[in-house]
Amino acid sequence: MGTTFRPLALLLLLAGCASAPEPGPAPAPVEQAPPPASTGPRENTAIAGLMESARTDAAAGKLPSAAASLERALRIEPRNPRLWQQLARVRLQQGDFSQAESLAARSNSFAGGDSTLRAENQRIIEDARTGRR
Amino acid sequence: MARRGRILRYFTYALLLAVAAFAVFTLQLDVRVRNEFEGRRFALPARIYARPLELHAGLRIAQPDVEDELRELGYRDVPVGDTGWFKRSGNELEIALRPFVFWDAAEPARRVRAIFDGAKVVAVQDAAGKEAGKDLPLARLEPVPIGGIYPAGNEDRILVRLSEVPKHLVDELIATEDRKFYTHMGFDPRALVRAAASIATGRMQGGSTITQQLVKNFFLTPERTLSRKFTELVMAILLEAHYGKAEILETYLNEIYLGQDRDRAIHGIGLASQFYFGKQVKDLSVAESAVLVGMVKGPAVYDPRRHADRALERRNLVLRETREQGSITPEQYMAARSTDLGIAPRPTTGTSPYPAFVQLVHRQLQRDYDDKDLRSEGLRIFTTLDPRAQQAAERSLTKRITQYDKERRFGQPGLEGAVVITDPSSGEVQAIVGGRDARYRGYNRAIDAARPVGSLLKPAVYLTALSQPSRYTLVTPLDDGPFVWKSRGAPDWAPQNYDKKFHGMVPLRVALAQSYNAATARLGTDIGLDKVFETIRKLGVDRPMRPYASTLLGATEMSPLEVAQMYQTIAAGGFRSPLRSIREVTTQEGKPLQRYALKVEQAFPPEPMVLITAAMQGVVREGTGQAMKSFLAPEIGAAGKTGTTDDQRDAWFAGFTGDRLAVVWLGYDDNRAARLSGSTAALPVWGDIMASLLPQPLELPSSEGIEQVWIDPQTNLRGDSQCAGAVQLPFMQGSAPQERSPCVSVAGAVADTVDTTVQKAKSWWERLFGR
Repeated sequence: MGTTFRPLALLLLLAGCASAPEPGPAPAPVEQAPPPASTGPRENTAIAGLMESARTDAAAGKLPSAAASLERALRIEPRNPRLWQQLARVRLQQGDFSQAESLAARSNSFAGGDSTLRAENQRIIEDARTGRR
Repeated sequence: MARRGRILRYFTYALLLAVAAFAVFTLQLDVRVRNEFEGRRFALPARIYARPLELHAGLRIAQPDVEDELRELGYRDVPVGDTGWFKRSGNELEIALRPFVFWDAAEPARRVRAIFDGAKVVAVQDAAGKEAGKDLPLARLEPVPIGGIYPAGNEDRILVRLSEVPKHLVDELIATEDRKFYTHMGFDPRALVRAAASIATGRMQGGSTITQQLVKNFFLTPERTLSRKFTELVMAILLEAHYGKAEILETYLNEIYLGQDRDRAIHGIGLASQFYFGKQVKDLSVAESAVLVGMVKGPAVYDPRRHADRALERRNLVLRETREQGSITPEQYMAARSTDLGIAPRPTTGTSPYPAFVQLVHRQLQRDYDDKDLRSEGLRIFTTLDPRAQQAAERSLTKRITQYDKERRFGQPGLEGAVVITDPSSGEVQAIVGGRDARYRGYNRAIDAARPVGSLLKPAVYLTALSQPSRYTLVTPLDDGPFVWKSRGAPDWAPQNYDKKFHGMVPLRVALAQSYNAATARLGTDIGLDKVFETIRKLGVDRPMRPYASTLLGATEMSPLEVAQMYQTIAAGGFRSPLRSIREVTTQEGKPLQRYALKVEQAFPPEPMVLITAAMQGVVREGTGQAMKSFLAPEIGAAGKTGTTDDQRDAWFAGFTGDRLAVVWLGYDDNRAARLSGSTAALPVWGDIMASLLPQPLELPSSEGIEQVWIDPQTNLRGDSQCAGAVQLPFMQGSAPQERSPCVSVAGAVADTVDTTVQKAKSWWERLFGR
């Protein structure tokens, strides 16, 4: 008696909406990313924290989580070229080459005269183009 | 004798037949009970949340705005209990955060302190525990729930397990509704006798056990007939025969109807705890749970918000009966009795306080999910809505529309409007207002009304021109003389200017700032309609454009949301991001299902975007948008464009600051002439909204391909900061005028030996055209 009744358990099963999370095809072969750019003195601690957890997640292969942290940081500092660059790197790692290229270009649009940052963006763009071929 | 025997035999047959009929009836009910009860899953609405507010040092937000958001979350403004309150002391705000499971992490309950200075957070700290006083990089508040996608009847509930329900709540329920619950077989014989007696007197009444109440709510219609009562009884017995008391009780607690929030029906003890007390069911006190148990008898009659006195009386009755049963001690009873109702001050909002935004979310979800799943699986939808932006938009639109209606008296139906606000860097939609009544769940003008956009398309014409630096710069002279467009198969078209005058030769930036029609039409046809349409498409507009020159001046219809998409690409420096209203979707337990990631695509090189943005700042600084100075400080450097259509049927303003983009439309649904212009009617709505949202200044991105040059507006030649009215304008490298204006100071001219002699001022276009 009563052993077959599991309404609560049943409704916990989700039917028909098991959509795939973010596309995450096989990670592209990417050279080891350069050491993280040092966070400048003016850099917000909130940003630093989110960048750090993005780095940790990316290193552990948790790329969607890394991207989410970077997007969170971008909502706080949408003009921070390092955030756009790190997001570009995550997309490159995910094999999303067109996003990687666009995001690196976006980083460039805020990079001003920072030639190191620009050079790294250029490298990402080239890697993305190579990956796309 | 034989006759009596025959009668007895018939009687026996009849009896057997009745028994057989009853058996069949019971078997049928049995199948129904088991099938429906087991197969039944509570339909749980998808739950929609606003963006979470993230507090960090440097955040620009005023303290009262944070408090408002906490109130919207049902937090109390006095410390009561462990979580769910805040305390203000001067410029400090201590917040006892409730735990919340986000897409990426579970935020624990914790105590934080935010310190404000003016409209800015200067520090966020831990406020309790070992780490008290330590700086926190980031404190993420719970997101405000903003509605759901509901099953039939707008039934809403939050499921709870029996183990989460406090024992005193169960005790109170049993003491009040069904004292023999644990011992009876689904019905109470004595109550049944009483009920039978009441049938004799013609008044059907009470006597329902918890099991019978559940059967009634679950399987049966609310009619009160004898046969229905009988069916209910048999089904209750069957239910008890198949299932345990705990399962029946748990289902009952989740099913029970406990009130109405406008069009939303509050079901189950889990949602009721939240709705009336802002708490989880496990945290309900003896007194609080007694209020809910008291409501079972009549949720409307004992509604603690509308009839506090009745609810209090009923609660005390529940407490008394529970004490009589010995389930609470006299001390507990006395303590509970002496408390007040303690209802959370949460405003009632119905299915959603922001129906227009929820409509957009629902549509975006329908691309990826079955509607049935959205209405039953309890998905959690994390959106991009910013409650502050939304409220600012609603407030401003309603205020201005009411004012214009009063001034114009154009009769009914009244003037309408719509607002879209987005984050220009990411394309996240922060607010949607679909009409003058923001609570109305119907026609959503922000996403469904397609209206002629008028001059809002002009930036696309000028952007196309500025992408050819060898031909066009911000100071290139354009001809605003009379213009006629001839095309085979189309009538001749000769656009008028708004002021019914032609202005001769004007610099490009002035033609846009003043929204000159003749100059724009000539420019657009000179560079080619195809090229302009290609620009519009690259800006993110999918609609096909009619291949006429009149399209350049906005004889094409778009919704405010489409306009927002087009301006979004400009505001983001040429990077197109599809507008999004959803960030993440999870199951009800928080398991991630889908993330809608930020996507960008570079549609234009950066340099022409700098130029067009500067030109649009000119619109606001000195053109048709200059009334903005009564709303925003000039340092904000807002960029935008007014739009007014024929006979002033539509009034638009679209533009952006450093951190927000907004589109405002005003007009009549039946297309009456509104006699309102973009600059006098739509602009004030836009200005009000932005002014109340502490806008960030708009800074043009620096680009290696761009140089800033002082221009003398008298001659449109190179000037310097000393020239009267000189403006600094961006030019693509090498495209700025070389010649110096006579206003350039002698010292400057001497210092700059490259300078050529400028003696006599020929008019600047004569020089340029060599005339």
